[in-house]
Amino acid sequence: MHFYESSIITTKDGLHCQVYANEHPTHSILVKPKYIPTDKVESSALQYRFIGGKKMNRLDMWAEKNALKIYVEQFKKAYPHYVMQSNMHSGSRLFFSVPIEHIERVYFPRTGLKELMSMPVDALDVHLRNVHEFVMLLTKSGLRMKDFGVTYSTLMGHYMSNISDINIVVYGKENFWKLMEFLENAEHSMLRWKTREEWLEFYGRRNRHKIWDKEKFLKIMERKRSEGFFGNTLFVIFAAEKEEERTCQWGSERYSDEGIAKVTGIVSDEFNSAVRPGFYTIEKSVVLSGKNVPVSQVFFHSRDYCMLARRGEKIEACGTLERVEPKQGEPYYRIVIGYLDSYITERREQEQMKVIS
Amino acid sequence: MAHFYESTLVDTVDGFQCKTYANEHPEGYVIVKPKYIPADAIKGDGLKYRFLFEKCLVRFNLFARKAELQKYVDQFRKKFPDYIYDSPMHKNWFFVVPKNKIKTVHDGRNGLRELLKVPLRDCDLYLVLVQELVGLLMKSGVSSENLGIMHSTLLGNYTYGKSDIDIIIYGKDNGWKILDYLKTAHHEKLKWKTAEEWAIYYKEHQTSESRHFTEQEYVNHMIRKRYEGTFGGTVFTLFTVEEPHETWFKWGEETYEPMGVATVKARVTNHDNSHVRPGFYEVSDAELLDYDERSALDKTIPIKRFVTYSIPFVQQAITGEHIKACGLLERVTPKNGKPYYRIVVGYFDAYISDRREKEYIKALELG
Repeated sequence: MHFYESSIITTKDGLHCQVYANEHPTHSILVKPKYIPTDKVESSALQYRFIGGKKMNRLDMWAEKNALKIYVEQFKKAYPHYVMQSNMHSGSRLFFSVPIEHIERVYFPRTGLKELMSMPVDALDVHLRNVHEFVMLLTKSGLRMKDFGVTYSTLMGHYMSNISDINIVVYGKENFWKLMEFLENAEHSMLRWKTREEWLEFYGRRNRHKIWDKEKFLKIMERKRSEGFFGNTLFVIFAAEKEEERTCQWGSERYSDEGIAKVTGIVSDEFNSAVRPGFYTIEKSVVLSGKNVPVSQVFFHSRDYCMLARRGEKIEACGTLERVEPKQGEPYYRIVIGYLDSYITERREQEQMKVIS
Repeated sequence: MAHFYESTLVDTVDGFQCKTYANEHPEGYVIVKPKYIPADAIKGDGLKYRFLFEKCLVRFNLFARKAELQKYVDQFRKKFPDYIYDSPMHKNWFFVVPKNKIKTVHDGRNGLRELLKVPLRDCDLYLVLVQELVGLLMKSGVSSENLGIMHSTLLGNYTYGKSDIDIIIYGKDNGWKILDYLKTAHHEKLKWKTAEEWAIYYKEHQTSESRHFTEQEYVNHMIRKRYEGTFGGTVFTLFTVEEPHETWFKWGEETYEPMGVATVKARVTNHDNSHVRPGFYEVSDAELLDYDERSALDKTIPIKRFVTYSIPFVQQAITGEHIKACGLLERVTPKNGKPYYRIVVGYFDAYISDRREKEYIKALELG
């Protein structure tokens, strides 16, 4: 079933969840819980937020690992209905999903932006005016208003001016790449790209500094056009896959865990690296560690790996090696980075992907 | 008749956000003031728009220009007749939410309880201020269990530096306890408007209510009130609500006959209920100053109460003072007890009638 990634779902028991994929099982939506009420499960290792009249924990998969592991175990007991067992994946894969009957409300980025753009500009505060102006700029790419959405705090209304990001959703991978091309040369007095210092601050977070050589990281990031500043507010642009663009329907493949592997390969297609989950098609793979098989895909569930490499570039990736058996077609191997269970195992420190030449 | 706390936010199945407007309600309904209404339901010409929770919403404002407000209310009544309650007891109408149309009740008391559990390190500057202010109010002896938060503080759509902090005080005694405490309380972040600041406010915010006051009268009334101040530079407002056993009337136990607009002068004999909505001043020695239908009045029946639904007229006068009010004169017939007259200001219909420019309550000693 198709359901756009980056939409927000609130559940009947008060969780705020981000839709975490574009393709889902029939009766539930794959999500990452973002804010979780603290009445059933709580961790002081996670940040607290006061949202909608409730004390919530903000689920951060980069929180201290042992505490996170304990929290996830408690979460599974407190909210078993949001933990999905996939019979298509071997190994102990962790998927969070919200069964349809537990959805309280869906916040649709496209609907939200349409409403926002219908507002009289003088009724908008500084943050919303920025969003309005930024979207007007983006439509100069030739994309239509309905190709865009706005998500997270702007959509939900709990943003803070001068602090909260602008998170824009672009519907369609084709559209997204077209927009990136437009932004290569776009000029606007309020538009600027991250400086080296700002990218270095970003580099210092999560595990990025452990993966990347600093100069290489800067070189790769400075060519990104999905993040920057508009009117001094950070913006991030995400792509959400259209139904007709999907590369695989839920249930049409089976995945066997073949252990951890590290490979190198040459990117032959980066088109699908714009979305989450996304992937790079590679050729000339060389297994550096793990089972020695030809690998044709580097697949990721984390946005950290979106749009890093371009066609012809050599990448190195470490993650779960999976044998993929499509219902129709030949089996193949892929490296998967960022399954949610990886954040509470030793894979958190091992998994990575980087451009090496 | 049913109790439901005033100043509570209620979301409806039709996407409205409403604020309860009384503590006592007709059976099956909650009296409210609509706060936000989806713009796709009714366009809000003359009203402000807000983008909240994925929707373009019209901010319903009783102080909008009268002609536009009238037009909006007419459309509202046609499109959402379920949200208007024509009260046979009042021969007047109220905005309501039928109980079967309530989607969510945002409980201010629970909200504050949750907020106070959030460690300060994880609170932004605004929420730190809220926690500090609550800490100060608790020094009055009122526990946090009898306090609540509302509006954007509760729902999380506040803007630091712009949004007010709105606090609910549960219980009339608790309300007076805090208001009395604040008369002498000191805190480095607590500030009250000075006479000069109230004078500036008066000049900049000419409203249909303040036009009945000279600048000096207005300043004299406001300077002694303690329901609105600033804390750390952020405006805060205190709303006292009645506990179920404290409501000063029970819905259905009286009937009200509207008798036109009157101006009355009287002496306040009890102001204990003047800090809630609706609130009232118990009066004696009433003198009818202006009224066109004197012949319709029964001179043996006393004018005993000045009632307000309008927040600017709460805590206007204290026991022993003389007050003057202009509002709707009503003959009240209790099921048990003797009939009396009362003056009411701030019924919803007043905002779209000529009463809007006429109604007020003022303490004469503050002139």
